[in-house]
This record gives sequence, C-alpha cells and structure tokens, in this order.
Amino acid sequence: MTFTQECAIPVERERLWDFLMDVPSVAKCVPGVEEVETVDAKAYRGNLRVQVGPIRLALHGTMTVDEQDRAAWRARMRAEANDGRVGGGIRARMSLTLAPGDGGTRLRIDTDLTILGRIGEFGQPVIKKKADALLEEFARNLGSRLQQGG
Amino acid sequence: MNAFEYAAPRTLDEALAVLREHGDEARVIAGGTALVTMMRQRLVRPSYLVSLREVSGLARIEAANGDVRIGALVNHREVETSPLVRERFPVLAETFRRVASVRIRNMATVGGALAHADPNQDPPVTLIALGARVEIRGPAGAREVPVEDFFRDYYESALEPGEVVTGVVVPRRPAASGAAFVKFLPRTADDYATVAVAATVSLQPDGERCREARIALGSVGVTPLRARAAEALLAGQPFGADLLRHAGESIKNAVDPLSDHRGSAAYKREMASVIAGRALTQAWEAARAAARETR
Repeated sequence: MTFTQECAIPVERERLWDFLMDVPSVAKCVPGVEEVETVDAKAYRGNLRVQVGPIRLALHGTMTVDEQDRAAWRARMRAEANDGRVGGGIRARMSLTLAPGDGGTRLRIDTDLTILGRIGEFGQPVIKKKADALLEEFARNLGSRLQQGG
Repeated sequence: MNAFEYAAPRTLDEALAVLREHGDEARVIAGGTALVTMMRQRLVRPSYLVSLREVSGLARIEAANGDVRIGALVNHREVETSPLVRERFPVLAETFRRVASVRIRNMATVGGALAHADPNQDPPVTLIALGARVEIRGPAGAREVPVEDFFRDYYESALEPGEVVTGVVVPRRPAASGAAFVKFLPRTADDYATVAVAATVSLQPDGERCREARIALGSVGVTPLRARAAEALLAGQPFGADLLRHAGESIKNAVDPLSDHRGSAAYKREMASVIAGRALTQAWEAARAAARETR
C-alpha cells in the first residue's frame, strides 16, 4: 500500500535537513525505535516495537539510505524488518521531501509499504492510522528536540 | 501455539489474584474463539491462561427490575435463544442469531466478545443502541462503563490491567419504542458485516414524533460508533424521507471505515448511510406499532 503524510516542523529547512540525515539521532524521535547501530555510511540496524491491540510486534531489521539530494531537499530510503516470533515483517520504501512553509518546514513522507506474513492480515486495515499516529508523535518529538537546540 | 500454564479458578477473586500475579504474561480465556485463533497464528503468546469457565455466577441471564443482566460467560447461542431476552429485547436475540455460525455461537461468550474489542462484531452495535452497560471487576473493585465508551481503539478496550468483564446490563425499554438491527452481508452468512447498524426509536405521546433515537454502527471504524449528530436531527421530528436523507448524510460524516476485501472505505461510507436508513425505518415502524398497542 502507498500513502502520503505531511507535517509541519517549526524549524528552518537547512537545520531540519541536517538533523534528519543524522539517522541515529532521528531514530530517537521515532516512537518505539530502540538500539539503533550504524552498519556503514548508508545502512543502520535497529529494533522497532509496535503494539496493535493485543499484539505486540518487535521488528528487527535494517534501514538503508539510497539517496540524499540536498539540492532537491529529497531523500529516499528503504527499510526491511522482521518479527521472528510472530512470523512476518515489513518492507518499506520511503521518500522524504522538505519544503518551506508555515514559519518552518513542511515534511512530506511518501511511503510504499508491504506487510508480510501473519501480521499482514490482522494489521493491514489499521496501518495507515497507526502510521499517522506514529508520524504525529515523531513530529512532536522532532519539534521539541530541535527547539531545545537538539 | 506456544506452551502455557492453565488455571481454572472457582471464584472471581481467585481469578483476579492470578491475573495480578502474572501481569502482562496472563490472558483471560472464556470461550476461546478469538484468543485460541490468535494463539494458533502466534499473534499472541501468553504464558498463562486464566479460564473463567469454573467461576460460578457468571453464566446466568437474569431480570433485575426492568433491566436484564447477562453474565460474561453466557454464550451467544444462549442469548439468541433466551426466552427472557426474546421477550424483553427481541432485537438483541436477533443480533446474536446473526453472529458467525451456530458452532461459534455455542462457544463465544458475551464477555469475551466485548473484551476482544473487535470493531467488526455485531453485539456491541445493538448493545450501544440499547444503552447497555459493561460490568467490570478488577483489583480496585467493581465499576460499570457504558458500552459506547468501552471501546477505545482497534482491538483496545477500557479494561485496565488485571480487570475482567463480568457481565452486561441492558436497561428497560421505554413504552412506545422500537428497535432494529440490520447487517449488510454481501458475501457469506457467517462473514463479518460490511456494515452493521442498530437503531432504537422511542416516540412522543402523539405516537408519531421521535422522542429519542439512538444509532450505532459496526465495521465502519476502529471501534463501534454511535452517530450522535444524526440522532440529534431526528429528535422531535415526525418520520419522513427528507429526515432520513439528512440523517443518512450525517452518518456518512460520522463513520471512518477502513478499506479491506469487504469493500473500499468510500463504498462502506455510502452503505452505512443506506443501511442506517433501513434500520431507522424498521425501528420507527416498530415504535409506531408499539404506540398503537398501548393506546
């Protein structure tokens, strides 16, 4: 499934860009992300914990940055993560775009997400809603972290 | 399925103590129709199951003044066939009759279905329209929550850790009132609904104008929903096609369906309005008939 999300972060574009490209720091703003480690200049390994109703997922996987185009204010990345206990995983391709707006920066995220295995059938209907809730908290964390001088 | 320990306490206090002791690792099991399926799929892996089957006093349907109390361990088939429920709340018996298949109805319990908080279930819809309350027991004692406030999110309820559902109380219906449950089921009879609607209408002394209406919908959001704005449009009004159309438009705004193999979000939104119109029409006709009888 593909979906597009947008949020406003109250800091200027240059500063937001620099912060977003520092993956281990950004990861701390994503709710549920734990233990991010750097594999190489483009790849990172980590865990994401998500709860949907009675089901708790512990996704373990990698994220790879495929493109960082500061001139176009666009970055592309992909993530692969699996939950070995429940049986299933996610594959995501994401594109981040930064545009000036509303006294700060508008962050646009285009996601192409595939959910595999047992978690797919149960989780599919609510993925967009969970993703929206995740982004809202991420934007809040990002905003407060950058305003503190991050 | 993972290995687990199993306890079947005989009293509710014992059950609550086991839950307190094992916390997150323990799950309550009643009929098992939902939980065992999820365990088989390894979606949940509790290390401790606390069965409520041996707990006495939870499997009764009883009249309490004009209200009817249905114990958490009563199964769906028992509600469907209960003479008391059929006499006082025929719409509730009919709703339970429409759930899944008879084999599942013989296992699935009223309390278990509520605690499971699956937004596609039928009984919560009718219970909300009837103004029913969930009875809850936990470490801090007993409390009641209106069914409409019990569901918080997709498969998430108002139950706190260590709490269990002990029953549901359905309040007496006013005179000159009617109720209907309409389930739109385009695939097979035992499927979840594409949309399900329960409506209740009670009439003013003139036997024509609406005193109070309640409309509840299932399968069109992350929880069962109540369409309060549409209800407000109906209050004080006589029945009519224009009124139903306005209510239907309002219902389209109240629902927030998820696209799945039972239909796209847009389709379900349209059907919610259509099915709600049918449920309201039936409920209103029943209310008029009841008003004529009492005159």
